[in-house]
Amino acid sequence: MEKILRLSWANIRKHKLETAALVVLITLCMLLMGSALEGIKGAKSIFPHLMEHTCRYENHIFIPDEYYKEAFADILASDERVSDVAHAEVIYSMSTDYLDDEGKEQALTMCFSTGYSHEILELSEIETTLSDEEIAALEHPIYMPYAARDSMGYKVGDDFDMIFGTRRFSFVIAGFYDAILFDIPGVGLKLIVSDQDYHLLEGIIDKYTVLAYNDGQGKGGDKLLEDALREFDEYSNSNVSDNVMSALYNDLKEGITYDTDVLLKILVGMAVLIIIAVAIMIRFRIAGDIKDQIVNIGVLEAMGYTSKNITLSYVLEYLLITVAGIIIGTAGCFLVSPAFFRTGEIMSGHLSDSRITAKPLIVTAVIIIAFVTVISFLRARAVRKFPPVQAFRKGQGDHRFGREHFPLRKTKSSVHLRLAMKGFVQNFKQNLGLTVCITAASAAIVFCFIIFTFFSGGMSAISKSSGIELSDMKITLINPTDTEWLAEELETLPEVRKATPTSGESLMINMPEKKQVLLPMAFTSFDVTENIFTSEGRYPQHDNEIMLTNMLGKLDGFSTGDSVTLEYNGVKRQYIITGFVTALTNGGINLYITEDGMKRLIPTYAPDTIELYLKDGVDADEFKYTLTDRYGRSIADAGKAADGEGSYEDRIRAEAEKQIAEIIANQGGNHVEYAIQSGDTVIKGSSSGFIIDSVINLGGVIKTQLAGMAKAISALTTVLMLLSALVVMIILFILMESSIRRQRKEFGVMKSMGYTSRELMLQLAFRIMPAAVISVAVGTAFSVIAVKLFASFIGVIETNMAAVFFMDAVLLLFCFLCAYAGARKIKKISVYELMTE
Amino acid sequence: MGTAVLHTEKLCKTFSNGGFQQHVIKNLDIEIREKDFTVIMGASGSGKSTLLYALSGMDKPTLGKVFFGKEDISDYSNDRLAIFRRKNCGFVFQSIYLLENMNVFDNVMTGALVAQKNSPELIKKAEDLLIKVGINKETWKKYPNQLSGGECQRVGIVRAVINEPAILFADEPTGSLNSASSRDVLDIFTELHSKGQSIVMVTHDIRTALRGNRVIFLSDGSVVGEHEMPPYGTDDLKKRRDGLQDFLDRMGW
Repeated sequence: MEKILRLSWANIRKHKLETAALVVLITLCMLLMGSALEGIKGAKSIFPHLMEHTCRYENHIFIPDEYYKEAFADILASDERVSDVAHAEVIYSMSTDYLDDEGKEQALTMCFSTGYSHEILELSEIETTLSDEEIAALEHPIYMPYAARDSMGYKVGDDFDMIFGTRRFSFVIAGFYDAILFDIPGVGLKLIVSDQDYHLLEGIIDKYTVLAYNDGQGKGGDKLLEDALREFDEYSNSNVSDNVMSALYNDLKEGITYDTDVLLKILVGMAVLIIIAVAIMIRFRIAGDIKDQIVNIGVLEAMGYTSKNITLSYVLEYLLITVAGIIIGTAGCFLVSPAFFRTGEIMSGHLSDSRITAKPLIVTAVIIIAFVTVISFLRARAVRKFPPVQAFRKGQGDHRFGREHFPLRKTKSSVHLRLAMKGFVQNFKQNLGLTVCITAASAAIVFCFIIFTFFSGGMSAISKSSGIELSDMKITLINPTDTEWLAEELETLPEVRKATPTSGESLMINMPEKKQVLLPMAFTSFDVTENIFTSEGRYPQHDNEIMLTNMLGKLDGFSTGDSVTLEYNGVKRQYIITGFVTALTNGGINLYITEDGMKRLIPTYAPDTIELYLKDGVDADEFKYTLTDRYGRSIADAGKAADGEGSYEDRIRAEAEKQIAEIIANQGGNHVEYAIQSGDTVIKGSSSGFIIDSVINLGGVIKTQLAGMAKAISALTTVLMLLSALVVMIILFILMESSIRRQRKEFGVMKSMGYTSRELMLQLAFRIMPAAVISVAVGTAFSVIAVKLFASFIGVIETNMAAVFFMDAVLLLFCFLCAYAGARKIKKISVYELMTE
Repeated sequence: MGTAVLHTEKLCKTFSNGGFQQHVIKNLDIEIREKDFTVIMGASGSGKSTLLYALSGMDKPTLGKVFFGKEDISDYSNDRLAIFRRKNCGFVFQSIYLLENMNVFDNVMTGALVAQKNSPELIKKAEDLLIKVGINKETWKKYPNQLSGGECQRVGIVRAVINEPAILFADEPTGSLNSASSRDVLDIFTELHSKGQSIVMVTHDIRTALRGNRVIFLSDGSVVGEHEMPPYGTDDLKKRRDGLQDFLDRMGW
């Protein structure tokens, strides 16, 4: 064993720089794979950790207050699949405006609860740096999920201002907690406020009752929920099921770790690519080494070393290199893994089990060691083909009788280019391995580049893929009968460009064949839409036509021309799919249908929402204030006005409007008129000031969500591009070092003939260019196909081919420069080495 | 006597090896004349090859100057020396050093194309030279490991002279060859000299040295003696040999 170790060590010392480069590659592989596996383990621990430390109940149903009945909790508890049930009140707003750290208005989905409700539903404790006295001194404290701290940058003590209609509510952030529901900005945030503030907000935000229950970790699933909702509908004789939101155990589990999982699996994929590159490098290094040292091998064999000894010495050489890389990589994992744990926590909005355990690291190390051992053993076995005498004759395989490639007598331009091409062909096998490595790296780089340019190129490209109208305002009305006339009235206003009636968010339609719930987007005609684009087919025109999203089409296997059944309230109708839409929003459940198509399914359907588009230059916030004041006043607003001073008529009107607001909000009235006689005066009025239920900047909400996603994807693709470029650089460096070492004598002779170092470096660099050109071309083709596959799930990702070709040119230049820089060792070759004395 | 095509002024070359300094050439003033066949001889370690490499621009002196005509090449960078060599020097090695991954013709063309553009005339010249040195057409496509030592060296000579260098340098060109091959190679050198080629050759073999018309003897890095002879083949061979032997005996050979 010692003699074998000596041989291995001698070889390692002989090629220090190449060895170091290989150690770096293996370190990178160990670092990526080990940290990614640790990260995946951490990500998988997020949900169980959450369930153990944060969640009291596994499932939650949000029921609007007007639909909720006390008996619902008992009905649910009576189901044998359910073990525990609780209920608590919250208030929920799909789009709440708030001021960001730059004072600009942004929009988020927000859910508010008191501390009491929070304790009913969740276990998590508040984390704060304030003392009890300091918190008590705050007039309007607010507690936010960790995501507000980690991805939005808020700190304890920061102000948080929310805007509802004409009113502003200022809070001070008193602490953070691990939320199970509404845990990240992309979904919405659950905010805990004081009882006083909660009561204030109750007057302007919709109330919900949350029914929370356990079902044996998701065993009840969707079926249990469907059964419960059916019973609620029957009990209350109302359409509860179409108006609830739910957060079930299985959906939570998938949603919490999905993004992190994808990210970490991509990193594992990168590590696999690197280990394949390492394998190719080891193969051709051993082959080259045997060729270079064949005489020495003969000498060793003549001395009594068997070919098995020599083979094992190569295997041991690469094992030692691998172990060195693994040790350094493992140390690196201890530094990098916490970053991956933290990434998982930030992306999911929850804490994870961030202990580094041995298992993922051991698994990674074993995989790498096994791979390298097998590859080096298989290649090094070639030694047994050379018994001593054959080795002294440098192996009779050196005789070549094949065709001469690129004969110099046919040189037309530069001899250096010709010699480079000659060298390319002579080292064909090596260049084949290089082609495979650079192809994989190019595919990764170009794929990431295309995704990067799409997601970082401003919101317009991404907005086009949202699949919804991104109007300036989405107005939801209390009474759908008011929609048409309000839309017409709004279009007469000088600030308004267009007002389009459409369906709201409250209606959900079933697709029973696929057990899918769809969110309809209905318009009189899709010609009036501005941000809904077909990726395939055409808009629905007739009442039996619909469009679905790309994602849904791919997942459920639909094609243009297929027929589907839609169901609402027991009524079923067939529709033909006329096309598909690019949609990054709503999880792909958008349904695009004409108003007539809706009426065919729901005869009583009427649009209750208006998409409002403002003219250029109109201040949206100011207009929203005016709109709300004119049409969207609430009980709180009316109550406040009624307490004010003014003329007799003003006070009469104010009191009348207070009563009207009460009727509309609490009694279910949708249109009220009054006429009050006081002496000879008749004071008249109506409920027109109370017809708007909410004004949402949904476009702002979506843009916030998409911007967050775009930022994360841009960062990820940048990291992957840099990693791939680093791998290419190391591979080319190893290749150049190896080539120079093998042809040291030849380069010395050529220098003696008068070739300069620069000319020889250029020759070597040009030698890899045919492989680089082929690799980049093939890699680009693969990546364009991969982008199309990726996009087929979400819609169109515009590929700027001019930018892609530019990237290809940059890649080729990068390969050339790396090879040229790697060949600089030629400068150290002295013709003096050719001397005999 | 011809004009000096190459001369040195106080040429010194010192090597450092693990802190130990070895002064191989010490303050050497030497002149290489045009159309001379100069042979440098000396005991092993006397600095013959070191001097050859310094004269041919393959190596830079530690101190002193090397003039090629009026051009001082002592301080040239490595790349500039390479450019200088391609235009002015041809080199023949003891170990021959043909490029093993190229056939005979490409080995010659590699040397030619570094200094000249490819042309039908250049190709014809290469072909003629190869035939002249006895490498027939069938051999042009063969690789170095398919040739004998003598054939390889002859190809090496063609590679060295194809650019018509001002001086042809040779470092023990027959050192690896048998006597028959050695004779063939030396005949080529003699013919080249007869056609006006300036040659500087290092050897420790008296039979090789006889081919020159001027022998310089080195000892401990300095020139200790010179011996002039008429061009080879123009005098009595025995007299020539005796004259040279006497000189070498005086030099302590």
